Amino acid sequence: MTSIAKPFARPHAEEHEDPRQYLMHDPLPRGQMNAMVMEAMHTTSPIFWVITGILAAIVVFSLGYEWYRLIMEGQGLAGVTRPDYWGVFLVNTVFWIGISHAGTFISAILRVLKVESRRPFTRAAELMTTFGLVQAGLSIFMHLGRVWLVYWMFPIPNERRIWPDFHSPLMWDLMAITTYLLCSTMYLFLPLIPDLAMARDRTQGGWLKHFYRILALGFRGTEGEWKNLTTAMNIFAFAIIPVMFSVHTIVSWDFAMATRPGWSSTVFGPYFVIGALHSGMAAVAIVLFLLRSSMKHYKYFIRAEHFNTIGMLMLLVSMAWAYFYFNDYLVPWYGGDKWDKLVQEYTEKGPLWYLWYTMLICNIVVPWAILWNKKWRQTPWLLASVGLLINVGMWLERYLIIPVGVTINRQPFTWRQYYPRIEIPMTIGTFALFLLLYMLASRLIPLIPVWEVQEGQEAHMLRKVGKAEVSTLSDLE
Amino acid sequence: MSDTTTLLAMFEDLEPAAEGLDKLQQFGVKDQDMNVISGIPVKNTILGRPPAITHVARIGLFGASLGVFLGLFFIYGIPFLYPLLVGGQAIFPVPQGLIITFEMTMLGLMGFSFIGMFVDSGFPSYTPKAYTPEISDGKIAVLFSCPTGEQEKFIEALKEAGAESVEPVEARHL
Repeated sequence: MTSIAKPFARPHAEEHEDPRQYLMHDPLPRGQMNAMVMEAMHTTSPIFWVITGILAAIVVFSLGYEWYRLIMEGQGLAGVTRPDYWGVFLVNTVFWIGISHAGTFISAILRVLKVESRRPFTRAAELMTTFGLVQAGLSIFMHLGRVWLVYWMFPIPNERRIWPDFHSPLMWDLMAITTYLLCSTMYLFLPLIPDLAMARDRTQGGWLKHFYRILALGFRGTEGEWKNLTTAMNIFAFAIIPVMFSVHTIVSWDFAMATRPGWSSTVFGPYFVIGALHSGMAAVAIVLFLLRSSMKHYKYFIRAEHFNTIGMLMLLVSMAWAYFYFNDYLVPWYGGDKWDKLVQEYTEKGPLWYLWYTMLICNIVVPWAILWNKKWRQTPWLLASVGLLINVGMWLERYLIIPVGVTINRQPFTWRQYYPRIEIPMTIGTFALFLLLYMLASRLIPLIPVWEVQEGQEAHMLRKVGKAEVSTLSDLE
Repeated sequence: MSDTTTLLAMFEDLEPAAEGLDKLQQFGVKDQDMNVISGIPVKNTILGRPPAITHVARIGLFGASLGVFLGLFFIYGIPFLYPLLVGGQAIFPVPQGLIITFEMTMLGLMGFSFIGMFVDSGFPSYTPKAYTPEISDGKIAVLFSCPTGEQEKFIEALKEAGAESVEPVEARHL
């Protein structure tokens, strides 16, 4: 006698899956969701203010006092000298621009592709973009040294009658980063308007009422207002994606356009873009974990499914990063150029060899070892830990490219190991300022786009097919 | 003295709101004399409303074309006016021109789309308006004008369609 089919070894876990574990299938009345988000904003513990105070003190010391010293006494306080004129300030610039990429990536690309799980965390990611770019901008100013002469880069006549040279990648950088900062801030603000109107409606008197009233611009939600808003958001979602790609490509050209060994690479553009997404996606995981753990009611909005989505993207991006890293590694390895080979050997076997191995472990080994498993991806603290390690790895990658990379050049008599000095407290200052801005924003603006969550919940329903309830999505947009 | 009254009908859901709008059309209220106010965007076809007109895309395209000219001015106009000779480099380079022009075009497109959203929506506007905070809590409001003498007929018909309340509305500060 033959069997018709082999029996399953064990029942599928999915058979017992409750669809209501997904936010889109677990709707609450809009008024209740509004109340939850507002309560989360206005519930602050003493620990919150203690942490805020500590961060503010760090910012005042490192970005106030230390920067003042750097301006008054000059770049001699930093570790930069021949041949390492590009040090940690530029590492931080590239790092923070990278962090800023995930906001746009998650919000714009997932919006364009209509990925529904994006809805509750797009704003948290967009906010990262704006605050990350603030740190990137500050880091460039630190590197500039004589910050009061920044206007020399603007296309206005100055007393020296020298106009900015648009042949230079540094000028392309200025244009691209300015465009990205302005556009991503506008893109953050647009979907915020209906939530600011909601906050206005639910706030009774006081300065906060005026704050929301002014920022909500008089929005009511008429047909015309929604049409204008969604049209503008669609334009931004499509247009900001190529700008995002262009920004980090241009950042890579700051290096690749030079004839320095180790930098002059045709693959640097896409390699930098994917690196930016790698660190940015990881930062989103950290931010979501922190928000979920610290903000009241956020466990309703940010769920295991969202960590799963981020985790899958992190794994995918990690693989893509490894592919581009290998591309960038292979050519100097086999290419036979003496100087390229020297840079590579110095990076791997020089005094900072452990940074190279740490980078590879953090960027490839850790994510690949953990993120393949759905259960682990859905564990918030574990995903945030992987995210933290990826960010350590990505910061080290920029450190290896910039100050370590410039140590080896075609003039061996200038070779010198770079050691950061005042850069260390100022770097800590940028991290403190990022966290401080984020913490203050979490108490002022709704970090959950409630109207987008409700819109998604209205469009989702469960349909009985056979013995199962399956998710169905209606095209209501 | 005005011979029309402005009423605000509140609905819990989209279906009764669509039915209420049907009733208003049957009573001869023109599309331009009604407005739907909601906490989420609602496709016009769901409520049987004509598509809302927006000029945001056109304004954005205008901004993009301004951006093209600004980019071309930066990359070609400035070196033309103030030539800066750097060894071996072209004064009017094409690749660099593409980069700067691209960035300025996108900045123009998005900047003007943002401004266009303000202009087309009449933002910012802090004057009193017909509104109730229940809308941002998920209710659908239909705002319309009707002849003052026939007010009761409209209220009754809309309540029959499922309106929770139909009341004369006065403009208030938001």
